[in-house]
Amino acid sequence: MNTAIASSPDRQPTDWSADAMQRRIRARYRAEKRFRFYGLFAVLLSAGFLAFLLVTMISSGARGFTQTQIALPVNFPASDIFLEPSQLDGDDRDQLLAQTDFQGLARQSAIAAYGEDGPAFLSNGAWVLLRDAVSEDPSLLTRNETLWVPASTEVDFAARGDSGMRQSEERDTMSTRYAELEAADQVRRTLSWNFLTLADSSDPTLVGIWGALKGSLLTMTITLLLAFPIGVLTAVYLEEYAPENRWTDIIEVSINNLAAVPSIIFGLLGLAVFINVFYLPRSAAIVGGLTLALMTMPVIVIAGRNAIKSVPPSIRDAALGIGASPVQVLTHHVLPLSLPGILTGTIIGMSRALGETAPLLLIGMRAFVATPPGGFTDPATVLPVQIFLWSDELDPGFVEKTSAAIIVLLLFLLAMNGIAIWLRNKYEQRW
Amino acid sequence: MNNVGDMMNDATDTQAESRADAPALAQDTLKMTARNVDVYYGDKQAIDNVSIDIGMENVTAFIGPSGCGKSTFLRCLNRMNDTIPIARVTGQIELDEKDIYDPAMDVVQLRARVGMVFQKPNPFPKSIFENVAYGPRIHGLATSKSELDEIVEKSLIRAGLFEEVKDRLHDSGTALSGGQQQRLCIARAIAVDPEVILMDEPCSALDPIATAKIEELINDLRGKYAIVIVTHNMQQAARVSQRTAFFHLGTLVEYGETSDLFTNPSQDRTKDYITGRYG
Repeated sequence: MNTAIASSPDRQPTDWSADAMQRRIRARYRAEKRFRFYGLFAVLLSAGFLAFLLVTMISSGARGFTQTQIALPVNFPASDIFLEPSQLDGDDRDQLLAQTDFQGLARQSAIAAYGEDGPAFLSNGAWVLLRDAVSEDPSLLTRNETLWVPASTEVDFAARGDSGMRQSEERDTMSTRYAELEAADQVRRTLSWNFLTLADSSDPTLVGIWGALKGSLLTMTITLLLAFPIGVLTAVYLEEYAPENRWTDIIEVSINNLAAVPSIIFGLLGLAVFINVFYLPRSAAIVGGLTLALMTMPVIVIAGRNAIKSVPPSIRDAALGIGASPVQVLTHHVLPLSLPGILTGTIIGMSRALGETAPLLLIGMRAFVATPPGGFTDPATVLPVQIFLWSDELDPGFVEKTSAAIIVLLLFLLAMNGIAIWLRNKYEQRW
Repeated sequence: MNNVGDMMNDATDTQAESRADAPALAQDTLKMTARNVDVYYGDKQAIDNVSIDIGMENVTAFIGPSGCGKSTFLRCLNRMNDTIPIARVTGQIELDEKDIYDPAMDVVQLRARVGMVFQKPNPFPKSIFENVAYGPRIHGLATSKSELDEIVEKSLIRAGLFEEVKDRLHDSGTALSGGQQQRLCIARAIAVDPEVILMDEPCSALDPIATAKIEELINDLRGKYAIVIVTHNMQQAARVSQRTAFFHLGTLVEYGETSDLFTNPSQDRTKDYITGRYG
């Protein structure tokens, strides 16, 4: 059989130790080394970028979670406000509080404590804390009490030793004043729960991320609840049931294209359909969620189809062969086996949706929302839009708040992906 | 087309005379009959006018060269071809005198009655226990956990696998060796208590020792189930079967007692094939 090659008379036996052969072998090893090096280089480069990003974010954002506070002695009985604790027992409590000039009280107290430029040490919203303190404990009105209130951005910058945007003389006076305050223990730097519990504000010392975080949570909930089931069902139908004809071809091409459509177009679609046709409320999490679901669904469909396609046909045969119905084959075997792939697609889609800003701007989620949304139809904003809005602010106090918001966004992303990866691994372990 | 009663009589008559459209089946209870079966994949005809009787007591082997349609025909017997959209089956196939292609026939139930073992071992990526328990569970064959345990144990014993796996029933079925996996698949098929077991080249992916075990198992199962086995291996057909059908180019060339067919084939094509002229 194989005599033809071996005994061919004009064929020399291969000389494996010849120079050319050895050179070729060496070149092959070199190529392999080089290739490994490229791979390692790529990994190190991306790890370096990631480390750089995390270090800068954390170093500049960590301060955003803290707040410089200043001690403000308030002599309620001697002040211009004429409220009695007993008055606050009635139903008109809120109205009374609203009518009372806490702003003047804060100003008065600041001047009393720190002289003429005292009010400049306080955050513009410091009076809100006075009001809240009184509302919580009306007996304060009869006492002389020292309250800790947020300091102004200038004080905050002085605390950091940063010039902010002040002229140099002003900065110098502020830093000497700050040194005095610090020596007298009248300023402190504390972890600020306000940042995690409040919503947007025009005063950087009073902003909070909770409003945007809750907005993101609500929006993502809608997105997941819509995009995941619709995406999976679409993938299942297209893979398992759809006949192969022109219509399914068109649907397939459309879905693939939909996944590549720039996100801002989805924003326009959301505006035109959900707000202009269905009259859903503007700026609401439900519209944001619907819009992002449109964007996420094709990604889940594509990943889902690939995952379903990769389930070996032998498993389907096995199940059909012992009399499982097509639906049983699907729910008992095909879907569980393709779930890890579907979840991977969902992670990618949801991460993209979480970081999306452009389409949400168009449906009005860039509004200034000072109270955390109470539900899906309340005006809301989301983390990336909040970051965008804050990064646009003139007040330098927003810089560290922006970084802090980015940290919150990244943590949200990590938590979301962590859950999905945990789920995926849990299902992978079963086999 | 003859009516069913005629065919039954002919077939169950002992030593019935050979008929063109219904090969004789001697000394056996008729389980499945096929008459004038054609199968088309799109425009291409894969099976041309095959008629065959399958008996309860015997192992029937389908042999023939690659692409001769023996697997295609086997897959008609439990309607596995339904899963191929372009496949079209005409003619009549009956199980216990009931047309299995009749719209009234429930295909899910049919496949429970006519089980199948595939060429490549294909256990579910689940535990050994779950693999065997799956069928009884979906068909509601066990009313209690202990009953299910019993079915699983009995099926594994019957498939000759129980001794090897009894301590690790909850380990993954895919971690077994190839031969063990194939016996697991047989256990899975018999767990739903089928009447017929179709085996599509069950040993082609196995080594000789595992093959010997499966053949032994087929011998043990004979009589309890009607067994149809497709094989490439003529020695295997000679070893395990009592009847052999030789397929070539989509037609049934010859069908008869295995001993006759191998020693004294009536057709030249059969003779050429079993003497190794082509294959």
